[in-house]
Amino acid sequence: MVSKTEEEQVNRLENQVENGGGGAWEYLCLVRKLKLRRSDKVLKHGFSILNDPKKRSALGPEGRLEAMLLEAKGLLAEAEKAYSSLLEENQFDQVIHKRRVAIAKAQGNLSGAIEWLNKYLEMYKQAAFCYEELILSQPTIPLYHLAYADVLYTLGGLENLHAAKKYYAATIDLTGGKNIRALFGICLCASAVGQLAKGRNKEDKESSELQSLSAVALEKLYKQQSPSKLSLLTSTLRNFKL
Amino acid sequence: MSGDSRYEIHQNAYLKLVLHALKHRTSAVNGVLLGRSSADGATVEIVDSVPLFHSQIGLLPPLEIALIMIEEYYGEKGLSIVGYFHANERYDDFELASVAKNIGDHITRYFPQAALLLLDNKRLEDLPKGKDRSPVMQLYTKDASNWKLLGSKGSNQLTVKEPSANTVLLDYISSGKWKDIVDFDDHLDDISKDWLNSELFE
Repeated sequence: MVSKTEEEQVNRLENQVENGGGGAWEYLCLVRKLKLRRSDKVLKHGFSILNDPKKRSALGPEGRLEAMLLEAKGLLAEAEKAYSSLLEENQFDQVIHKRRVAIAKAQGNLSGAIEWLNKYLEMYKQAAFCYEELILSQPTIPLYHLAYADVLYTLGGLENLHAAKKYYAATIDLTGGKNIRALFGICLCASAVGQLAKGRNKEDKESSELQSLSAVALEKLYKQQSPSKLSLLTSTLRNFKL
Repeated sequence: MSGDSRYEIHQNAYLKLVLHALKHRTSAVNGVLLGRSSADGATVEIVDSVPLFHSQIGLLPPLEIALIMIEEYYGEKGLSIVGYFHANERYDDFELASVAKNIGDHITRYFPQAALLLLDNKRLEDLPKGKDRSPVMQLYTKDASNWKLLGSKGSNQLTVKEPSANTVLLDYISSGKWKDIVDFDDHLDDISKDWLNSELFE
């Protein structure tokens, strides 16, 4: 979220920089910090700094920036070479690993990108269970639980659906019942499990209880924050009832 | 069969899709097309569109929620899902992504003539230079089991209803209108945001 003051600050700096005033570096830092999309301006002012050797050396380690300059200019093959020689010096440089993934992706070389991404992930030892690892390493970040649940649901199958439901529940728990995606996720899982396990309803009671609690929470949130779509939500939820 | 249909898209439906892609230039985005087909099946009218996602578009849960809500809303108005829009992540990528094909396949089960539209970045970029009046999208339809690209320049099976659409689009691009577009991802992050974009063109 960008606050009003931050937005004003960015706009003021942008104006100043655009009109030839100083503060380009501060502007670029702010754009990055606030995760804004200003690709044309970042390119323009970024180049003006990178192309000036004096300004450039004030920024820190040369090699990485030189290579990134090549990459920004679109000289991907040369940038790639520069990155690999840097990796020989320091094979655990995560920034460079990521740049190599990005280069392969920009070249349309998806299998290459995957290979590099895997190398990058090998640093965490367990690429395949990346989300599990993330959850284990930082169990209180709801986003990881949610992302893992979404992947499990997409994979499908009874076992994955049950697991997904648990991770959605954890997300709800960690967000104080406020995460819309997780609340919907519970409804989807309950309905999909119900369809798959027709007749064999052992866990059903708990599951349907969880589902109706989620539905109630969703209705409450929509009533407060999006009243014009409340009736649409109600008819949507009807689709999940069995 | 479906290869013979003509597709006419209303200006606002068209603009929403392109503006959505412009808002998220560095990611793949998608959307659905709402409309109806004429009694003889010769024309498909695309009356409206809903911008869907700009992050992780390959995941099922948000998509299922969005499609159910969209069908509930437009079903009452006599409109149904008649196609799908996709913009690739990379600017020079003109391949139909497998996500797009999968979602398209699903739609054809209910609407065999479904249109699959792919944003044509090259023509979008060239808009200010020329007088291109046709939509800056490639049209694919499903023929037996494959998605086929239709209408090279001569026979345009996809048209915008209002001939001024691209002029309006250029206006919106220069005024930064794309900042205001809301997609379903935005709605799921903050439900007060309106994925119908009902105030966008007022």
